[in-house]
Amino acid sequence: MFAKFYLRRLWAGLLTMLFSLAAYAEPVVNQPAPLFSGAAADGTTLNLADLRGKTVILEWTNHECPFVKKHYESGNIPNLQKQAAQQGVVWLQVISSAPGKQGFVDAETAKKLNAERDAHPANTVFDPSGSIGKLYAATNTPQLFIIDPQGVLLYKGGIDSIPSADQADIAKAENYISSALKALAAGKSINQSSTRPYGCTVKYAG
Amino acid sequence: MMMFRFEFFLSVCWLLGWISFPAAAATDQAATEQVKARLIASVDAVHPGDNILLGVQQLIIPHWHTYWKNPGDSGLATQIDYGLPDGAIVGLIQWPTPERISLGPVVNYGYQHEVTLLTPVKLPDNLAVGSRLPIKATAKWLVCEEACIPQEVELELALPVVAPDSDAGPGSPLIEQALARLPSDSPWPLELIQQPDGVILRVLGNEFQASQPSAVWFYPDEWGRVSHGAQQPRRIFNDGISLQLKSGDAPLSPGQTLTGVLTISESNGTNTVTRGYTVRSILASNVSSQPETAESELAVPSAIVLALLGGVILNLMPCVFPVLSMKALALVSHAGHSSQRIRLHGWLYTAGVLTSFALLAAVLIGLKAGGSQVGWGFQFQSPLFVVGVAYLMFAVGLNLSGVFSIGGSIVGVGSSLARRSGYSGSFFTGVLATVVATPCTAPFMGAAIGFALTQPPVALLSVFLSLGLGLALPYLLLSYWPWLQRSLPKPGMWMDRLKQGLAFPMYGASAWLIWVLTQQAGANAVAVALAGIVAIGFACWLFEINKHSAVGARHVSSVFASLLLAAVLYGSYIGLEDSSSTQAAIQEQVTDSRNWEPFSTARLNALRSEGKPVFVNFTAAWCISCLVNERVALNQSEVKLALQSKSITYLKGDWTNRDAEITRFLAEFGRSGVPLYLYYPPGSWSKPAILPQILTAQIVTQAFTAADITANNSIR
Repeated sequence: MFAKFYLRRLWAGLLTMLFSLAAYAEPVVNQPAPLFSGAAADGTTLNLADLRGKTVILEWTNHECPFVKKHYESGNIPNLQKQAAQQGVVWLQVISSAPGKQGFVDAETAKKLNAERDAHPANTVFDPSGSIGKLYAATNTPQLFIIDPQGVLLYKGGIDSIPSADQADIAKAENYISSALKALAAGKSINQSSTRPYGCTVKYAG
Repeated sequence: MMMFRFEFFLSVCWLLGWISFPAAAATDQAATEQVKARLIASVDAVHPGDNILLGVQQLIIPHWHTYWKNPGDSGLATQIDYGLPDGAIVGLIQWPTPERISLGPVVNYGYQHEVTLLTPVKLPDNLAVGSRLPIKATAKWLVCEEACIPQEVELELALPVVAPDSDAGPGSPLIEQALARLPSDSPWPLELIQQPDGVILRVLGNEFQASQPSAVWFYPDEWGRVSHGAQQPRRIFNDGISLQLKSGDAPLSPGQTLTGVLTISESNGTNTVTRGYTVRSILASNVSSQPETAESELAVPSAIVLALLGGVILNLMPCVFPVLSMKALALVSHAGHSSQRIRLHGWLYTAGVLTSFALLAAVLIGLKAGGSQVGWGFQFQSPLFVVGVAYLMFAVGLNLSGVFSIGGSIVGVGSSLARRSGYSGSFFTGVLATVVATPCTAPFMGAAIGFALTQPPVALLSVFLSLGLGLALPYLLLSYWPWLQRSLPKPGMWMDRLKQGLAFPMYGASAWLIWVLTQQAGANAVAVALAGIVAIGFACWLFEINKHSAVGARHVSSVFASLLLAAVLYGSYIGLEDSSSTQAAIQEQVTDSRNWEPFSTARLNALRSEGKPVFVNFTAAWCISCLVNERVALNQSEVKLALQSKSITYLKGDWTNRDAEITRFLAEFGRSGVPLYLYYPPGSWSKPAILPQILTAQIVTQAFTAADITANNSIR
């Protein structure tokens, strides 16, 4: 009696341990993307799970980073955002800059910045604690993730193939996001699903 | 010291505001707010068709950094575009060994304070002698602190083209410094082993055990080959170091080559020297890898199953078998008891084993968190632990032999034998089984434990508990199934004989451990350990004979026995500390083929007053540079031949242990550490030539010749 009880407890314990191991993994392409919720620029709390059924693009950003400026000032990212919106893809900016660090903004500033830059993301998610960024192991601004309607990660990586801060390179580079959007619109799979991101370091707390 | 002087030089540069540059005309220097750049060359003048080195030095303000060729998680490598006359061939940037710059969870590879990026250039043959060679360089870099700023500067230099027979000049002294910071070829063979979630890089060389590098890191040349931010758990073996490298976003597949730089840091107490070595190693394709999918999910459960099997097999090992037999014996003596009580004994034994394994896992997790790199059986690396376990085994042996017996209240070594209902005895037999099992575990469990050590705490704990469960399982089953119990023999006289017989494996284990101690701490340690054994024997006997005397006498003898034991432990501690520190020096003297004599100032002065040439090598067992230099240069036949043919006396100063005479001598040469190589050419007034800290056989032989010539000239 006594022994059986303990034996059962032991196995239950081992199983629990195994189960908790699964939560350790970093986001992997073709695996479910980590779920999160966070305060958004429109005053709501955005919950990724609520966006099931739609393709979602996450864009880590910091408006003061020269690499982010390159892609906003050239119109590259605003164009991609428009293209995504037309396809019904939800484009979310994510700001993981900690308070006091470069790129940290409040909702009003974020909206104003987007208006100035003629940028139209579906929403902006604030991640001052960096927990969403760390969940996705985001290291760079810009860095992008594409999640399919079933919640599976389809793409992670950089915006294009030429790592530089020079606007002139945009035309010469292979734009991974526009290729991915085209592939998705055509119902094809994304060619390069994991690429090297480049840009500024995400300004996490501590 | 070098580092300190250099930092000082840097701060002086900044204090003086360096030089302000006219903005209009491009010069060899340019500055941004964060970086001052300068274009340099390895020559002051060029010959047509020369191979030269061009370089761009970056002086970076404190807290900011620029990037290596693989910038890591973010950032951009510095780019240099050279503008040279047609026909010039520009090579690739020679990247100095980088350092790690961590910003929270993001890890970058780059340079702080100062770096010089060299590029080899082959000049065209048709340069007109008398003209000037124009060199332009456009350097682009990203400089970051918290914020990142992309910057670009234009640099220009014009070098006179001179006739082939005229002197080209020494060029910039920065070139020499930059060359010294380039990674050198690895003097050790390398091996890459496929792992479920990465690779293991093994560096085969037996000097690491002695030198105990303070840090080892691998920097991959290409992005994503290795996770840039992941820890690189390190283990030091007798025959090398292994680094566990977690895969990044562009993992290596079999047949592909991993290239990068391995840095090894060694500290001599006052400063740390880091050296870089180029790594080029193919991931063997014949190693069967795990299936591509769900690798990490599979790895942990299979390690747990392996651990369970390993634990069961452990029971058959000589380390554990006596303990298990001891336990089985106790079980036999319980045969008449209710099945419930017997099961309880089984569970208590299991609990003892599991608790000990959980504790061991907790210690490992703690040590891992504290940053020290440990391996299974780590506790056996300490001579003190080894001698302690030898004493314990011996005492258990004495107990089995009947020299003494102890009550169940004392931490239950053998108490289960002494008392029939010793529940605590069952628990502590489990603890004892775990303690004695560890040395036997290594060969069996290497793979699973090695894997567990690289895993998060939860995985590590589950593998350990599984190993413990395996160890406890046979006894648990024995206590559980009545038919197994019934088939056990009845207790009787044979039990006592068996008990006495089982003392001998214990003595054997104790003898084996003392042999292990010889390997670790030398012959003196054995004398210490054997003296301890005799004293323990005496203490146990004393304890037993007075057990039934009057209370007063009993207390006196207990106190005396305890004091004796304390003296044994303290004496062993002092004795072992002493003998292990001298061991390294002794070993070296024995194994080296001696073409040298030990250094002393008196010997050096005597040789010099006779005008004899002397080569002095200051070294230490923990100094990797020193050992590498000895292997790749000083022990090479051409150096040995040169020493012999020039009748140079080779003096070796061993600084493994502090030595005031050598410390003073090093200070005279402005050094605070080894290596230091000096050559005194023949002639009693000759000044010594100081050899570089990185040697090749050629550098040494040339230094001998060059110093001899200079000495001869000055005499004339």
